[in-house]
Amino acid sequence: MLIDHATLDRQLTERRYLADEGLLTAVRLAVALGRPLLLEGEPGVGKTQVSHVLADVLGRELVRLQCYEGIDVSQALYEWDYPKQLLSLRAAEVTGAVVADLYDDAFLLERPLLKTLRSPTGAVLLIDEIDRADSEFEAFLLEFLDGFQITIPEMGTVTATVPPVVVLTSNRTRELHDALKRRCLYHWIPFPEPERERAIVEAQAPGLSARSAEQLVRSVNVIRALGPAKRPGIAESIAWAQGSVALAEDGTAWGEALRASLGLLVKNEEDVELVGAHDHEVFTDADG
Amino acid sequence: MPTADPGVRVSVDPRLVARTRDHLAAFLRALHDAGLSVPATKQRDFHAGIEAVAPSTTGQLYWVGVATIVTSESGHPVFDEVFRRFFGSPEDAVLVVDEPAEAPEEQDGDDDEEEQGSAPAGDEVEDLLVTETSGSGLRAGLGSPELPKRFGRTSASAHAVMREIAAELPRAVPRARSRRHRPGRRRHRVDLRAVYLESRRTQGEIVRLRWRHRPTQPRRVLVLIDVSGSMKQHSPDHLRFAHTVLATCSGAEVFTFGTRLTRVTAALRHRDVDEALDSLAPLVLDADGGTLIGESLTELLADPHVVTMARGALVLVLSDGLERGDCTAMVGAVGRLSRLAHQLTWWSPLACDPAYRPLTRGMAAVVGDLDALAGVRDLETALAQVRSSFSHAPAHHPRRRNHD
Repeated sequence: MLIDHATLDRQLTERRYLADEGLLTAVRLAVALGRPLLLEGEPGVGKTQVSHVLADVLGRELVRLQCYEGIDVSQALYEWDYPKQLLSLRAAEVTGAVVADLYDDAFLLERPLLKTLRSPTGAVLLIDEIDRADSEFEAFLLEFLDGFQITIPEMGTVTATVPPVVVLTSNRTRELHDALKRRCLYHWIPFPEPERERAIVEAQAPGLSARSAEQLVRSVNVIRALGPAKRPGIAESIAWAQGSVALAEDGTAWGEALRASLGLLVKNEEDVELVGAHDHEVFTDADG
Repeated sequence: MPTADPGVRVSVDPRLVARTRDHLAAFLRALHDAGLSVPATKQRDFHAGIEAVAPSTTGQLYWVGVATIVTSESGHPVFDEVFRRFFGSPEDAVLVVDEPAEAPEEQDGDDDEEEQGSAPAGDEVEDLLVTETSGSGLRAGLGSPELPKRFGRTSASAHAVMREIAAELPRAVPRARSRRHRPGRRRHRVDLRAVYLESRRTQGEIVRLRWRHRPTQPRRVLVLIDVSGSMKQHSPDHLRFAHTVLATCSGAEVFTFGTRLTRVTAALRHRDVDEALDSLAPLVLDADGGTLIGESLTELLADPHVVTMARGALVLVLSDGLERGDCTAMVGAVGRLSRLAHQLTWWSPLACDPAYRPLTRGMAAVVGDLDALAGVRDLETALAQVRSSFSHAPAHHPRRRNHD
């Protein structure tokens, strides 16, 4: 079922998420074709946020699986509650009762993937930072993404009641396998053009005037062009705007508010020094 | 959920449909010919996407193609070029480029040759040429001959030393605990699953505890080889050493740098060392040229793949450290590399001389960031360092504390 382009755009905008044409198309196709959507881009460009607003738009539950090095099936799919099973076994032995079925739902610990499959209304599954997981886990995901079903040996096969909408995000700290990419729709989220970023910052930082937003975005772009060790993303721009607004409302001059809250934008010593060395260039409009 | 109103079906000339189908098939073939793999599943998605969206403009068709066919940012240029050839310019597709309006900047991508920030690469280096070094090895310069370089054949004795290095490496490379737990005897965590399954045979009575632990695994190895003129006589053996590392250590990476940074991991993976070295000729065009250590390392660290790779790794830098001009970039990059790496070891042929002291501006500034500074000029000296587990430091070297 294809979501109307204008409707989706409006609904995302209402939730203060401004998507470009490419992302809107990718999201519409992911929902229509039932294919996972792989989003790549530098940290802080809004990859994770897409699934949050999409869950809200679709009226579905959001299930998040945060990947990390060493994550395995038992942390992602399901696990039996072994201490509980042991206690039940011992209790039955002591009381002489018949041992209950130790492999039923009462002893099953649902992890995000199983929770997604069992969601009665369908879920939006966010598999966040898949690049942090290792190859073994990626290989396991292939099976899950292929048919949205898993087999629990003691219980049988669990199939999704309503196929989930799956969003995978990656910061590209490692190359994902082609086998995974083949199963996904793909979209690279770049840093937005200044005009779009200004609109995003304005939407996310109430109380920020259009002129201040323009100055702030210009400063962010100057900093990105200086070649810092970590280029600030949109998330950092928003945080900087919100911090500066808070200080400005307290009576601090706008230029000083920007400088004082710079730690929300750049987060390592070398970059702070770099901005300091180009202070006039970065804050030229803000001091005006 | 909001949906599009199903449009009224208009009868279309079947010949037009056939021509369109042929055109799309030719487009997909052209993508394949241009080097962009489009497997059957992707082709099916592309057609399904067209069915679903029913694009009425070139721009809409472009975005359907991007979402369903392209699988990485590096595939965009190929897709764009072929798309323009078949459908014209997607004028109403907003092509967002990762560039600030006033100061254009390259988007970091997969390609190791891409420029990042101020790191010069490729043709840009030509503007920086000052003097062509004579290749005497006595002076570092900025020039680069841009000629294919042959690294010679490997002698039987060198093969023998390489075999010894290969035998020593697994023991010498520092190890780290795996993040995954495995069943085993070491008592790190009770293996509840095994305990429970075993206890079912004894009516829930726990007779014996089972354990899981985190086994150790060798850390990744990142080798950075200086191929500038001042390292001319040492580069071939350093590359042979790197070939041995790649053959022995899984997940290792090798880069060369002179006036630019070149990833040579894939080329050096060839089983035969001489074949591997021959395959470097068209890749390493800055061999025996000038030195831009700081810029090369800065470019290296601008790649998120490499940053991930270097985190917690054993990083070996094979260079004399003779940086020309301003050393700020070199000091900053080495400092960051040392903070990322588990162990940063610098092998300099100059340090083979017992009287050597790191007194040049660059080396004097970075020596505090190194875990070890040792003399390596050929395979034999490299073998000696491998036997000392990469940690031999001269007495004058201020050893820093290792970190994970």
